[in-house]
Amino acid sequence: MLRFIAMRLVKAAIILIAIVTLNFFLIHAAPGDPAAVMAGEAGAADDIFLEQLREQFGLDKPLLTQLGLYLGGIIQLDLGFSYRQQMPVADLIFDRLPATLLLTMTAFVISLVLGTLAGVLASARVGKWSDTLISTVALLFYATPLYWAALMAVLIFSVQLNWLPGFGYETVGGNYEGLDRVIDIAKHLILPATTLGLFFMAVYMRMTRASMLEVSTLDFVKTARAKGLKPGIIQRRHVFRNALLPVVTLAGLQAGQLVGGAVLTETVFAWPGIGRLMFEALAQRDYNVLLGVFFVSAAMVLLFNLITDILYRVVDPRIRAS
Amino acid sequence: MTDFWKRYQRNRGAVIGLIILLAVVLVAVLAPVLFPQSPWKMVQRPFLPPFAMERFPLGTDTLGRNVLAGLAHGAQVSLLVGLISTLVSLVIGIPIGALAGYFGGWVDDALMRFTEFFQTVPNFALAIVLVAIFEPSVQSIVGAIAIVSWPPVARLVRGEVLSLRSREYVEAAILSGQTNATIIWRQILPNTLSPIIVLASLMVATAILLESSLSFLGLGDPNLMSWGYMIGAARTVIRQAWWLSFFPGLAIVLTVLALNLIGEGLNDALNPRLSRKGK
Amino acid sequence: MLKKLSLLAATFIVATGTALADPVSGGRANAVIQPEPPSLMLGLVQNGPTQMVAGNVYESLLRYGPDLEPLPQLAKSWEISEDGLTYTFHLYDNVKWHDGEPFSAEDVVFSADVFLRETHPRLRQSLKYVESITAPDANTVVFKLNEPFGPFIGIFEVGTMPMIPKHIYEGTDYKANPANNTPIGTGPFKFTEWTKGSHILLTKNEDYYIDGLPYLDEIYWHIIPDAASRSVAFETGVVDILPGGSVENFDVPRLTAMENTCVTDKGWEFIGPLSWMWLNNREGPTADKRFRQAVMYAMDREFAKDALWNGLGKVAQSPVSSSTRFFSDDVSQYPYDPDKARALLEEMGYDGTPVRLLPLPYGETWQRWAEAIKQNLEEVGVKVEIVATDVAGWNQKISDWDYDLAFTYLYQYGDPALGVARTYVSSNIAKGSPWNNVEGYENAKVDELFAKAATAVSKEERQALYTQVQQILTDDVPVAWLLELGFPTIYRCNVKDLVTTAIGVNDGFRDAYIEK
Repeated sequence: MLRFIAMRLVKAAIILIAIVTLNFFLIHAAPGDPAAVMAGEAGAADDIFLEQLREQFGLDKPLLTQLGLYLGGIIQLDLGFSYRQQMPVADLIFDRLPATLLLTMTAFVISLVLGTLAGVLASARVGKWSDTLISTVALLFYATPLYWAALMAVLIFSVQLNWLPGFGYETVGGNYEGLDRVIDIAKHLILPATTLGLFFMAVYMRMTRASMLEVSTLDFVKTARAKGLKPGIIQRRHVFRNALLPVVTLAGLQAGQLVGGAVLTETVFAWPGIGRLMFEALAQRDYNVLLGVFFVSAAMVLLFNLITDILYRVVDPRIRAS
Repeated sequence: MTDFWKRYQRNRGAVIGLIILLAVVLVAVLAPVLFPQSPWKMVQRPFLPPFAMERFPLGTDTLGRNVLAGLAHGAQVSLLVGLISTLVSLVIGIPIGALAGYFGGWVDDALMRFTEFFQTVPNFALAIVLVAIFEPSVQSIVGAIAIVSWPPVARLVRGEVLSLRSREYVEAAILSGQTNATIIWRQILPNTLSPIIVLASLMVATAILLESSLSFLGLGDPNLMSWGYMIGAARTVIRQAWWLSFFPGLAIVLTVLALNLIGEGLNDALNPRLSRKGK
Repeated sequence: MLKKLSLLAATFIVATGTALADPVSGGRANAVIQPEPPSLMLGLVQNGPTQMVAGNVYESLLRYGPDLEPLPQLAKSWEISEDGLTYTFHLYDNVKWHDGEPFSAEDVVFSADVFLRETHPRLRQSLKYVESITAPDANTVVFKLNEPFGPFIGIFEVGTMPMIPKHIYEGTDYKANPANNTPIGTGPFKFTEWTKGSHILLTKNEDYYIDGLPYLDEIYWHIIPDAASRSVAFETGVVDILPGGSVENFDVPRLTAMENTCVTDKGWEFIGPLSWMWLNNREGPTADKRFRQAVMYAMDREFAKDALWNGLGKVAQSPVSSSTRFFSDDVSQYPYDPDKARALLEEMGYDGTPVRLLPLPYGETWQRWAEAIKQNLEEVGVKVEIVATDVAGWNQKISDWDYDLAFTYLYQYGDPALGVARTYVSSNIAKGSPWNNVEGYENAKVDELFAKAATAVSKEERQALYTQVQQILTDDVPVAWLLELGFPTIYRCNVKDLVTTAIGVNDGFRDAYIEK
């Protein structure tokens, strides 16, 4: 197991460097540079001013030298400096990361729990109206653009019913402390996390349902039934456990997709996470911030994949043996 | 063919999906006839609510443009982008998967590492960066969607090819001295067609969602009226004008739903061995 | 729409009504700042948000009324010699920096001649006319020019020439000076605290050299990165002041319809933001004067003003904004007239060559505006293709002259010699900058008139020259002028005297008070 993890870590490091390099060239291929953007914000500028900025950012060096310097920094876990924001990139990202993690993890848990529950429920009542209802809802969720679901949720629950706040991470100027603050953030979290989780909720539901039905036709379940075990016990002990395998695989994939999906959710809900940070940095060619966000989110994807693989080995005895 | 249709129409959802999709296609094709004026034309006062004027049943937007005309013209954009970007991802994914599966060994290793790499980069984030860098236009959007969507195709084709390669008729073809290209093209690929068609129908749905998400963020082609654009432009005025984001969103949901249902129906019809399971 | 507009008109009357009550001291002003400024060191960074916050911390020698007439600030009086070459300023003698050190004429010499000459690109242009800056005594500063420069009296504004403390910066690496994080000025408010991503707190300068000022105890600048959240913050009473540009235009009618809410588009007279479309004078259909005139006739600018800017601002009549000195309306006028546009296109034999239009990537309003103009042009038969860019791409394309039509807006800084001439004189044609003569317009007569007007001494002479230049330009249409932008400042009506100068909120908190 340890050797397996070590191998995977080495592989992950190589992929990470490849991703950073690819993005580095992509971003520098884009027209314009941060010096011009900053000069533009100042309203007027001359050549001296632009040169001063480019020298300050190190943009006057050859591209490969810049890449070398950047990778050198990455190895020492130094993500560089954002001149646009006058802050180290690491500080910027770690300021925003908790908000994104809170959002995506909540969405993850909501979709996983509700999705598998609904799937199990539907599979136990195949062909009945509750199965049809659950399956139809899942199909609808599966086809709904998440940003639109988010907008409609704001419209209904925030604008019309005024039940939940529609924007932001916490009440502006609320100055809540302790438990009140937690409750305040939780209220702000409900709509974005739920809408972000909708799509995967549908996926889990469909997958769990199909997987449960498939497993229940397998021999060992038939044997258990023949032995006279209660249906509830068969469902829980034999069917559910085995039906979980594809769900675990999917969960690993979802964790990665959530980071990208968060850009949309964060846009609609003005959620101060790294998705927005990335989007803003892109328009301003804030190279270091953009690369930093990609580095951190790719690292997270790889980490989740690793966790999935380990979990897989734990859940499925066949893989463990081999 | 009648066999195929018999199996297909056994799935009621799939039939409904087909009807919806045909309706959407019809609207898209007839858009220039039904709404000969440009959907960008400012025809009435801004923020006219729906059902207030007979000529503009779905109201007007922030600049007084006809929402219904926008929806019709948007159908063209969504369907075309969905279709073309899926074709492009097939063109990338099928050869990579076929080569990896057929030759195996280091070719397989290299190609699969390459595929894995693209699966590790957060999909949507990469699409955003690509479109922003190559500047939003139909071409860059199609390209970006294709680049982030081909890996599943490659994986699927590789798996199929891997299992077909050891079949007797393929072995026979190899022994008879046919070239690798001929074998892949003539003997193997035709037999992988069914799962590819099923996957492709689902990919069109995903591509439509991706395009609309990019347009929503302001990364759409600025010269084309698309559903995602309409919702994105309506975001800041959602409190004043719910209908501007509601109707285009509904159009997307219906179209994507239809495509997903059709995908399931095709799966039943083309892979009879697997069908009816869990239904 | 009409109902919304009349509501706006009603609130205007309230906004412009004069306060009768005596000012009262105390209280905190809650304002929004957008986006978060990169730095508050006004001598190094002159972004809009930096000027807005730091303009109340730093000061210059003068302030300017809405009519751009100079008013005392650090200088209590001043004289200009007959020949227009010598400017003498007499400073207040009890002024202290926020760290307690006395402020003197030596600081002025250091700021203008040493510090800003190195760091401030816009001031650098005006300093070319300066031969020497001297301090004969601690309270007197003399600027000697090498030739008369008409707009010179207009450059002593806080964003143009902020006073920098010599005792902190002399001999240091300016950009790396740790004091940049805790700005020290002479202004009515001191810098107290800046929590990135959250707020900036300024507190009253108890030692301010004018007795009784300022009235407010604190200014609390809220940093709220999303436009919708900023609107909500105003609605829920968290903030009381939304400076121009901090909410989406589409939210303005809803906010101004609230009780106790005032709105004004004043306070931008000095900056004078004027929007136009660059028209590439070098090649393509836009190289033909008739095409450019057709563009002017084809645009429905009144519609854009009403639908996109809530009726705020003015349709531009000339390259000089109506709030800038030497504006003239005795020029060629371009009302919305599609038929005239079509006729001009026919006359030139426009062959339907498509033109590329670059919107300004500054959000929804600008995007919609580009779509409206595209539609306007297509209706007279011009084929338009919108090219999507982001901020960086836009900068690059404009600087490389890679466009046919392109939106922009630029500041005028109160005088045509500062903010207008740069767009039209041929000596200012050079790739690499989006603020010079990007359209490539060349006219020797215009060059000559601008040069003469800049160095003419008498006002009457300058007016005559500028009127003539405006007439030539409006006939040639080197660029397509759109609107004098009206950025609304939205605030609770019990905040009084906030916008009284030509730069509005940027230095307005000195005199502002909150009525109890």
